[in-house]
Order: sequence, then structure tokens, then C-alpha cells
Amino acid sequence: MSHLLDRLNFFQPKELERFSNGHGQVTRESRDWEDTYRNRWRHDKVVRSTHGVNCTGSCSWKIYVKSGIVTWETQQTDYPRTRPDLPNHEPRGCARGASYSWYLYSANRVKNPLVRGRLMKVWRRLRETKSPIEAWTEIQNDPVLRNGYVETRGKGGFVRASWDEATEITAAANAYTAKTWGPDRVVGFSPIPAMSMVSYAAGSRYLSLLGGVCMSFYDWYCDLPPASPMTWGEQTDVPESADWYNAGYLLLWGSNVPQTRTPDAHFYTEARYRGTKSAVICPDYSEAAKFGDVWLNVKQGTDAALAMAFGHVILREFHLDRQSDYFVDYCRKYSDFPMLVRLDEQDGQLVPGRFLRTYDLDGKLGEDNNPEWKTVAWDRKSKGLVAPNGSVGYRWGEDGEWNLEAKADGNETELAVSFILDTDHDDVVGVDFPYFGSGATEFFSTGDDRPDVLTKNVPVKKVKTADGEILVATVFDLFCANYGLDRGLNGDWVATDYAEDVPGTPAWAEKITGVSADKIIHVAREFADTAEKTQGKSMIIIGAAMNHWYHMDMNYRGVINMLVMCGCVGQSGGGWAHYVGQEKLRPQTGWLPLAFALDWGRPPRHMNSTSMWYAHTDQWRYETLTADEILSPTAPEGDWNISLIDYNIRAERMGWLPSAPQLKTNPLEVAKQAKEAGKEIPAYIAQQLKSGDLQMSCEDPDAPENWPRNLFVWRSNLLGSSGKGHEYFLKHLLGTDHGVLGKDLGEEGGQKPKEAVWHDDAPRGKLDLLVTIDFRMSTTAVYSDIVLPTASWYEKNDLNTSDMHPFIHPLQAAVDPAYESKSDWEIFKAIAKKFQEVAPEILGKETDIVALPLLHDLPAEIAQNEVKDWKKGECDLIPGKTAPNYIPVERDYPALYDRFVALGPLMDKVGNGGKGIAWDTKEEVQHLRELNGEWQDGPAKGCPKIVTDIDATEVVLMLAPETNGEVAVKAWGKLSTATGLDHTHLAVPKEDEKIRFHDIAAQPRKIISSPTWSGLESEKVCYNAGYTNVHELIPWRTLTGRQQLYQDHLWMRAFGEGFMSYRPPVDLKTITEDVRDDGDTLVLNFITPHQKWGIHSTYSDNLLMLTLNRGGPVIWISENDAKSAGITDNDWVELYNTNGALTARAVVSQRMKDGTTFMYHAQEKIVNTPGSEKTGKRGGIHNSVTRAVLKPTHMIGGYAQQSYGFNYYGTVGCNRDEMVIVKKMKKVDWLDREATRKEAAE
Amino acid sequence: MDRTLKALSLILSYPTRDLQKAMPEIAGVLGADSRLTAAARGNLRPLTDSLWLDDIYDLEERYVMLFDRSRTLSLNLFEHVHGESRDRGGAMVSLLETYRDGGFEPATSELPDHLPVLLEFLSTRPFVEAQETLADAVHILEVLNARLARRESPYGAVFAALLQLSGAKADRDAVAELLDQPEVDPNDLEALDEVWEESEVRFGPNPTAGCPVTRDMLARMGPPNASTPPAPRHAAE
Repeated sequence: MSHLLDRLNFFQPKELERFSNGHGQVTRESRDWEDTYRNRWRHDKVVRSTHGVNCTGSCSWKIYVKSGIVTWETQQTDYPRTRPDLPNHEPRGCARGASYSWYLYSANRVKNPLVRGRLMKVWRRLRETKSPIEAWTEIQNDPVLRNGYVETRGKGGFVRASWDEATEITAAANAYTAKTWGPDRVVGFSPIPAMSMVSYAAGSRYLSLLGGVCMSFYDWYCDLPPASPMTWGEQTDVPESADWYNAGYLLLWGSNVPQTRTPDAHFYTEARYRGTKSAVICPDYSEAAKFGDVWLNVKQGTDAALAMAFGHVILREFHLDRQSDYFVDYCRKYSDFPMLVRLDEQDGQLVPGRFLRTYDLDGKLGEDNNPEWKTVAWDRKSKGLVAPNGSVGYRWGEDGEWNLEAKADGNETELAVSFILDTDHDDVVGVDFPYFGSGATEFFSTGDDRPDVLTKNVPVKKVKTADGEILVATVFDLFCANYGLDRGLNGDWVATDYAEDVPGTPAWAEKITGVSADKIIHVAREFADTAEKTQGKSMIIIGAAMNHWYHMDMNYRGVINMLVMCGCVGQSGGGWAHYVGQEKLRPQTGWLPLAFALDWGRPPRHMNSTSMWYAHTDQWRYETLTADEILSPTAPEGDWNISLIDYNIRAERMGWLPSAPQLKTNPLEVAKQAKEAGKEIPAYIAQQLKSGDLQMSCEDPDAPENWPRNLFVWRSNLLGSSGKGHEYFLKHLLGTDHGVLGKDLGEEGGQKPKEAVWHDDAPRGKLDLLVTIDFRMSTTAVYSDIVLPTASWYEKNDLNTSDMHPFIHPLQAAVDPAYESKSDWEIFKAIAKKFQEVAPEILGKETDIVALPLLHDLPAEIAQNEVKDWKKGECDLIPGKTAPNYIPVERDYPALYDRFVALGPLMDKVGNGGKGIAWDTKEEVQHLRELNGEWQDGPAKGCPKIVTDIDATEVVLMLAPETNGEVAVKAWGKLSTATGLDHTHLAVPKEDEKIRFHDIAAQPRKIISSPTWSGLESEKVCYNAGYTNVHELIPWRTLTGRQQLYQDHLWMRAFGEGFMSYRPPVDLKTITEDVRDDGDTLVLNFITPHQKWGIHSTYSDNLLMLTLNRGGPVIWISENDAKSAGITDNDWVELYNTNGALTARAVVSQRMKDGTTFMYHAQEKIVNTPGSEKTGKRGGIHNSVTRAVLKPTHMIGGYAQQSYGFNYYGTVGCNRDEMVIVKKMKKVDWLDREATRKEAAE
Repeated sequence: MDRTLKALSLILSYPTRDLQKAMPEIAGVLGADSRLTAAARGNLRPLTDSLWLDDIYDLEERYVMLFDRSRTLSLNLFEHVHGESRDRGGAMVSLLETYRDGGFEPATSELPDHLPVLLEFLSTRPFVEAQETLADAVHILEVLNARLARRESPYGAVFAALLQLSGAKADRDAVAELLDQPEVDPNDLEALDEVWEESEVRFGPNPTAGCPVTRDMLARMGPPNASTPPAPRHAAE
């Protein structure tokens, strides 16, 4: 500007005005070019929605729409505020969420309803002359017609169908199945309702009205930690991520927060600015390890040994040599430490037995109500035995003493935690504890040759019972012995010095875990010291990896023990943080009636998926693990040497686990027969079962009468990613090509089950119809007979919550569903409508019979004080007591749709409730009539309408205490009656708050505190699990009413898990001589950790592509292992065992420990997967080499907290103990010749 | 109405019995259009015959396998231009506005960039304008033609005919780049789910390749839409 040549000397342009001392000037030229930018970011509207993946993020997004087309999205930043000194939540969201609109219009969306061409052709031909029911009947009765489409599953051949046709086939199949085999042969699988509650509810409501079966997901995904229900009587309850910021010490154990919790990780980093120290425990040098002040690289699968050593140090330094007042006081009040355990004599030795109960004692301590369910402790005040308030016996049949006040029978108590003082104990005796450390497989062995039973000295008291004098000890004294602590009582297997190699000591753990003893001592001290100084602000964030081992409970209970010993649970900034599986559906009690049609009929049919798939994909036929391998050497006498499926059958028979299908005979028929016989249904069934005229389906899973016949899969890729034992699904359930390499027990000549009927020819293709509802073509869709296109996350209205933050917010339809797709709600509505049209030909109003297991949080949870099997004549068959209950439910099949779209009369008549309390809902139902409108005529006359998905959300929001303050006050009031303490103050300030769909559309809302959950959302504290137990004295929903660290059920003792201990991974024996080729020497432990946003059943990102850039499936191995098998980095390798094979490139890394290989979870579907040399088919997925293995202790039922609940307790699909052979591939075959070509050209 | 373009729109649509009945007439229109060479018209015969005479279920299965399930044969043009990039929504908005300017409102569940939709629209426009639009898409038509030829599918002839009508030649580099993208067999389940996996969005260049070089970045900043942004799934290859 100052250049002479550029400057006008004699003129100043008239139109130019200058400003800012000549540095700025006004110009007059066209600025049209700016319109490009204006238009680029122009939009017609912004809609709030989120992404319904299985991710606990639950982040709110702005979706921009232009001309009816989604153009982009950005993060919402309007979360409700937190408190002073606490960082904000926003921005939440990750790069992946920011890319979602890119998929909305992807070419791979399912555009139209698709039906297998062979089926469609036959269907249309038959439909020319026949009704839908007749047509389906003919197809099922003609093996040629049925096989025509069954055998082509997974092999292409789809044609488009109209919605009318697709729903007609589905409805006809469902009706035919209900009539022919029973409604409980129609099953549906959908996971994670919290991510899109109405979508889930659409399918489950349809199934429930039909009498179909809803399958669990949390246990099947192995995200359910059974240790949580065992200890707390709670499925899973955790602190919100903001509470990390309040922690004084953060232990990340197998959890990779910076990698897997993107939107929350900032609280972890921010906490460090507050001075919070962090220790990270994981086998590999993970993202989180970089954040840790200290990193303990434990050998995978040995975490329990590490936890035990931590506990050893904490007990020694904070409970024994010096007693922390806070810890001791906390444990006395909130744990089972003071409870007394009977010592049973067994072969001349003493073993810990059951908790002492009032009914053991003469006079029962005056307790007449449930005396067998009231545990007993020693009171120092009265110097006698007392039955402290709060045990489960107080929960049912009486009110007012089910609380955690330090009282018994109305008197103040001071419970004795230990009898260590000479004045307290009558004797010191040797007690046997099982020791599993010496039974490790080759890979986990440390050369430990200790005996499998360790006898340790324990101080005891003598107690007079009805049957004479017995010995009892406190849980705490047994607990200390179990941890190997020398307390001056002499005897073996205890230590005073950490350096002694005695089970439980840091020196012992160092050998097993590879973590040095001084580090163990250091971390244990810091952890406990912080907890003592801060009154419990030490927190453990735990990763699902630890829960995927067969003996996951040992890992988890070891961790939980540490937290309880240090008084961390229920304290802000402390406790157990397990963020896996997105289990927290906050407005749960409002959602349940909608989801399971509790407004029309109760109970719904629920099934635990692990047992179901284990039985019906016939994985049990290949079982390699026998009960005696996992049984405790101290097991009481009994018939323990049976197969795992046999245990499951017994559990179903005794009413512990649910059954699906339930009876070999169609329940609609059974109900008719009972009526003809003029008998009450439960009595009739009891009699028929005893006589053997009626059989439970579980006893013969392969009989055609017992097969599941119709399967719905929605919101899930069941076959593609969550199907443990993938190849078994293909072989037996679907009946198509498969890659099972192993032989079944029949061919192998192995030990066959005692209870399960064995058929030499295993069935192939149990399913008549597989319907998948998805917006993409997934593996499951490809294997389906019908694929229905559903709305994606910006195309439907729904609700979304998470355990990571306390907000509820919506999914909203920014645009109409693309192509021909419809929302899940509309799809199931359409199926219901079609069903109502076609079913009356064969079904009318029918009586169905639902077999109900003994459920947790209902009086049935205290049904079985002792284990007795009616079939063995140990007791009578009493439905609901010694067996499942059999409950008649009226179905109105010709009015199924009318019921679907109306909130039924049971909400008015019976009310609503959850977790053991019930309340009246008349007022809310009336509000819904006013809000949604009411049906003026028809079978649902007078009922509120639930026509649209928004209507459905309003039902949830209106009925749930979390979103309706009035209900919250009612619910707390009911709980107050049970505990005898007033809790309504927790909700009264929010009584007038009613959150509606349009409120959350405007802004995410904080939920209202409710007794459904054990934490509070208030102005004072972050949400933290167990908070109300500790601060409101509400008992945990366990046998003792306290955090229960000792498990006294017969099966827990039989399998050696009364107390926590280290159990090495099991031997699944999948490396047989048959499968192993000459020269294949490298056998590794196969681990499938979660990758970034570890996702089970929907989609998985490909972190490896980012960090490793290999562009295909990879496995990680250590340098030493690679060298031993002649593998160099990036070589193609094949991994296989008897379950199947997979192919991948090898990443050789120092990050890995020897003996281990990683393949990231759900990293299954990847380009560039060559053919397997082993199976000759395309290399499989990570589940190709896995198989579900059941654990009997997860089947326990009718026993307080160890009672069944949907997604609460039950068998889990663990898969971590698997070993695989790794070998370099000789030649890489892409299988891209003939077959591919021919199929493509079809 | 340009009946040839309309006819091509029809035979690229999902086969129905109505279409089968109309095939003789459609074949007649195509056979009579002198804008197409005799060879091109002859090459359309196997397709028109097949659509007329073959079993409808076979035709439908073939169509679903080719066009609904093979991503690389998608009839949604922007799939090949924008993939899953953010630009796709904006591009569809512009196309929609073009239809509206032409006096039409889409009355279909198909997206605006579905080729049969576009062809039907073009059939209502002056041929010169239609030619221009087809010329814009010429590299996609070329690629689909090549991919269908690779599969020996009679549908290739439609694209060959469209190429002739466009009167344009495709840029060889652009075609080669598209053809370089791996073709995914819809029966390959691993690949199938892979494309739906949510791959990491990469804001930076290849992390193992060292620091970016200005020259490369400038090279990538060429004319907009001239090259296909790599779909996230292939970003790491």
C-alpha cells in the first residue's frame, strides 16, 4: 500500500471509503461468490437425534436437513449444567458419530422388503388358491418345499416383496407356529433397549402379545458380570462418568478409557488435574497405560491372583495390624463380614457351610416370618446372637425392618466382625479351603504343586442349634484365612510376610501374574490409603475383558472385595465402574409395560440367550468341559459329575432358569387338556410332569417338537458378530453350509449327557423362518428368509439413555425413512395388523400357559432354601416353589393389533412397579388418555392410544419415576413402607416435574432420582451406585441385605466359589490331535478385546485400519512367539482349533505378552479375507473359533440375589479361555474363482 | 418425451410382470432408435429378450443381486461420485432442485440420484440437455459398463447405449480410478459387513507415512469432485 507505483497520487476514487487508518476499504464489486458458502451451510431445519449403536456414549447431535435430505450433523452442546467445580459434559460425541449421515444414503442400505426367491415363488403360487395359513402349512409339511429355501440360506437369491406380502408370510408363519407347536416357539432377539427403547419395545410387545419369547442379550454378550448380582443383588449399577472427577484414586483395570470411552474420557484426564492418581492394569501397553502413573502388566487371565494379593495387603495393613475406623465401621454396617457361617464336618474335616439362620436356632430368635432367610450375627451389646435388620427374610411378608440400621428386633446392636480375641472365640479350628492354583493348564502353570485343599486356622464360636452344638465363624475371619493372612493362630498356608510364597501374598501373585510384588504392595497401599483419607473415594474402572473368562466371577469378586474392604462402594468418587453393554435403561419401570405388554397379560416370556443358543445350536453336543474339572475338592457329596447341559436342565426343572420352548406339548393344548380334565392349570401340569405324560422341552432340545421355529432378529447382527459358536448356528439352527471342524460327543465316543436325550443324527435347520429387520444388509440378513428394511437413527422417534451420564434424550425423525423402509414401531405394527387378519382362521381367544422361573425381587426369590430336585424324588413338585410356576395368560389373537396400539387395562387394575415394589398407576393412565387420546370402541375401548412412536415414548415417560416426579414420590413412598424409613425427600422437590417427549426434543433432561436405581441425581452428588444403600440405609437386595462377599448356596460351595480365589483359565481342549497338523507348534491364548467403541452386534469401527494400516483382519502376537513359528510381521497366518478357523495378517509387536494373541472383538467382516486352508471356505470371524461354555453357578435360582431376572442373572457367553493354533499360511487363496463368479451371475 | 431414454429407465428398473408384458414395445422403441448404432441396438437384444421371456423370479433375483446388493453396481450415481462423504447430501439437494426447476416433483421412494429416475427426467428434457447431463456422468456409465461386462451381464448394453447417446468420451484416469476400487461380491459376508463398519474418520493423512508434504496436499486440493474422495473403509488401504 505504500508502494509508489501502486498508489494513485492525484486521485481518490469517489466510491471508495477507507477506514481503520486506511487499512480497510469499502469495495463495490460483486460478492456473489459468497453465496457458495452461504448455500453450503444453508439448511431448512435442525433436528436433535443420536446414534443408536451399542455404545454407552449416548451423545446428542444436531441433524441438519435441507430439502428433505440430511446434509450433515454436528454435536449438540446444550447439556444441562453440572455443579460448581465439576467440568461440563460437553462436547459429547466422537468422530464416528460425526460421520453417520454419510451412511444414511449408502448403497448398502436395504431398500425394500426382501424375501428368499424360492420361498416367494412357492408362496405366490400357493396363495393363488389358498389362504396365508394354508399356504404356510403346505410349505412346512412338504420337505421339498421347506428345504428349497432353508438350504439356500446365506447363498443370495433374494427378490423384492411388498410390505403386504412380507408381513403376510411372517404373520402366517407365526400363527401357524403358535397353533402347531406353541407360541413359545416364536422367538426374538434384540439387544440393548437403552439405545432405542421404542424400537426394542415394538418387537418385544408384538412377541409378548403373541406369547412369543424375548431373548436376553446382556448375559449372552458376556457383559453381564454375575458377580454384581451375587454381591449386590443388582444387575449392574455404576457411577456416571462425571463422578470419575470426584475420585481420589482411579484404578483402571482392563479398561481402556481413552480408547473406548471417547466422550467421557475427558473426566479421566481432568481428574488428574485435580491431583487424582491413576494406576492402570492391563496385559498390553494400551492407550490407558499411557495415562497411568503406574502400569501393572498382568498376565491375562490371572487378574484374580492380583486382586487377591491387593486384598492381602489391604487386610494386613488396614484391617489387622492397624484397623482403619472408617473401614471397619463401613464393613460392619454394609458388608456381610459380621454374619456367621456354619462350619460343616465333611470326611472328618471342616468346611465353610451355610450362613447361620434364625431357623437353625432354638426359638428362632423370635422370628416367625421367613426364619430360614434371616442371617445371624454376634452382638457385643447384648452379648448374644441377633438377627440384624435388612436380611432378605425381612423383605417379604413384613414391613419396617428391611433396612440397614444397626438394629435387631428393635434394639441397637454392635455386631462383632471377628472372634480373634481370646475372650471372643471358643476354639481355633482348621477349616478347609479349595486351592485351584496348582491345577493350571500348561500355558498358565507356574509349577505350583500345592495340594488342592488348604487347611487354615480360624477362630470359632460354639452355638447351640436345634440339632445340637455347631461351630460358627464370622465371614471376616474366614475371609482373612482365605486371603492367607497369619493372625497368630498358627497353622499352615498363612503368611505374616509379603515375601513368603503362600497363596494370597504378593510374592505368590508375582509368580502367577508377572507383576512384581513391590508394585502390588505399592498400589494396594495407595488405593486403600486414599480411600481411608477420603472416606471411600477410590474407584476401579473395570473392563469387560476380565468378565469374558470362564472364571470371570473370581476376577470381579476380587475387585469388589477390595472396594468393600476400603468402604468405596456407595461413596461419591468411589466404587465399581463397569461400563459395558449399555445396560442402563433409566426409565425402566415405565418402559417394561410397553415393551412386554404387561398392560395386557402377565408374565411375559423371557429366556436367557446363552442357555437357549447352547441348546438349540447344539453346542452342547460338542462340549469338552466336564463338571469334575471345575468342581471343588471340598464339594459336599452329591451327583456332580454330569454334563453342563444336564446342570442347565436341572436348573430349568427346579425353576431356577427360564425355559424356551417350555413344554414338549403346545401350551395352548395343555391349557385345553387341563380344562377338559377340570383341573387348575398349575396342579394339572404338576401332575402330568410327575407322571411323565408331559415333558419339559429342555430335556430333549433336538426333538422337532422342541425346536424354536420362527426367529426375529432386529437391531442386531446376531450371526455376524455376537454368535459365539457361529459355525454351530449355521449347521444346526439354520441348516446351511458351515465350517464346524470338530466331531460331536457321539462320534468322539465322549461322555454323553445323563439328562439330555441324545439323538445320533443331530437336526439341521431347526428354524422354519428367520426374519431380520435392519437398515443394512448384515450377515444375519443374508442368512434370513425375510429381510425388512428399517428406519435408521435420523428417521425415527425414540428414547436414549446411558449409564455414562444422567440425561435422557431423543432420537428424532429428521427425515422420512429412506426408500421403502419403516420405523421398527411401524414394522411390528404392520406385522401385528396382518397377524390379526390371518390368524383367526386357526386361532381365537386362547389360554396360554407361561412357565415362570423363581424371579429375583419377588417373593419367589426365597423359594428354595435348599436344593431339591422333584424329579429325583427329593421333594414334591410345587409350581412356583420347587419348580417353575405355570401361569395361565389369556391371548386374544384376533385382537392382537388392537391390543398392540392400546395401553391395556392391567395398568389400571394392577398398577406398575419394579425391583420389589409396586404402585398404583390409575392417574398416569388417565393422563395418557388425555395426552394420546383414547379408543372409542373395539376390544381396547377406553384404553389410551399408542399409535405412533411418539405415543409410545409418552407411555414410557409418563409411567417411569425417572421422568415423572409424581410417580417417583409414589415409588419412594412404597419403598419407605418396606424399609420403615422415609425416603420421599429424595423426590418431593421434583414432584411436579413431568418430562415429555417434546421436552427432551428441546434439550436433554436430567432424570429424577428413583428407587429403581441405587444412585441419586441431585444438586449435591453425581450419580453413583450404592449411594442410597449407604446413605439411605436401603438394604442391598441380597440374602444378607448387605454387600455379600461370601456365597453360601450349595452349588457355589460345590464349585469352590463360596469365597473368591484365583482360578486359572479352563481347558477347553479344542487343540486335538485330529485338528493339529504336523509341525504346528505354536499354540496361543486367543483374546478378543474390545476395540475402539467395542461394539457387539451392530457395527464395529476399524481402529486397526487407523493405527496399523493393514487393511484387513489382523492378529497380534509377540516377537518371541512369531519367531518360534517362523512368522514375520504382515505374514498371512491361519488360526484354528476344533471350533473353526480364521485367517488374518500377523502384527508382530513388543506390546504383546508371549503366549497370547489378540484379535479385536467384532472385527469380523473385513475385505481381504482369504480362504482358510483348513476348512476350504472363506476364513471365519472371531467367533468361528469360539463356542459358548456354561457355568453351573450361573444357573442358581430361587435363592435371594441368586434368582433369575431377565438380563440380570443367568449363564453367560464367555470365550476368553480359548486356545488356538497359529501357523503361517503356505499360500493365500482368495477363493475368487468359479464359485464366486457363478453366484454373482445368478 | 424421449422414448428411448424412457425405455432405458424402464429396463433399468426392478423387473415386474408389467414390465415383462411391455417388453416387446420397449424392445421396439430401442430397436428403432437411429441414434444408437446397429451394434448397440443388437447388444440390447439379449437383455430385452431376457426381460421378456425369462422367469420373473430369476430376473428379480438377478436384479437384487446386481443392483441392490452390489455396491459397486449401485444405480445411485452419487454412490460412485461421493461415496459416503458429506457432499452426498448436498449433491442430492441440487439434483432435487434441478427436477423441481424442470417442473417435476419426485413421486418415488427412490433417491433423486437413482439412474432410472434421472433417465425418466431426462426423457422429458430436450435431447441436447439430456446429452449434457449424461456427458457429466460419462465416467460412471463407463465404469458400470465395464463392471457389468466383467460379469457378462446383459445389463451392460444399457450403459453402452447411454454412452453412445451422451456422445462424450470418459476421462480415462477417472474411469481407471473408479475401476481400481475393489469389487465386493455381495455373497462375501466378511466384505458385506465390513462396509458397514464404522471406520475411524481420519482427519490427518496416513499415520505411518510421516509428516504430510505440502505438494501432496496441494495436489489433493484440485478441482472439487474431480476425484473420488476415498470412502472411509478404504482409507487405509
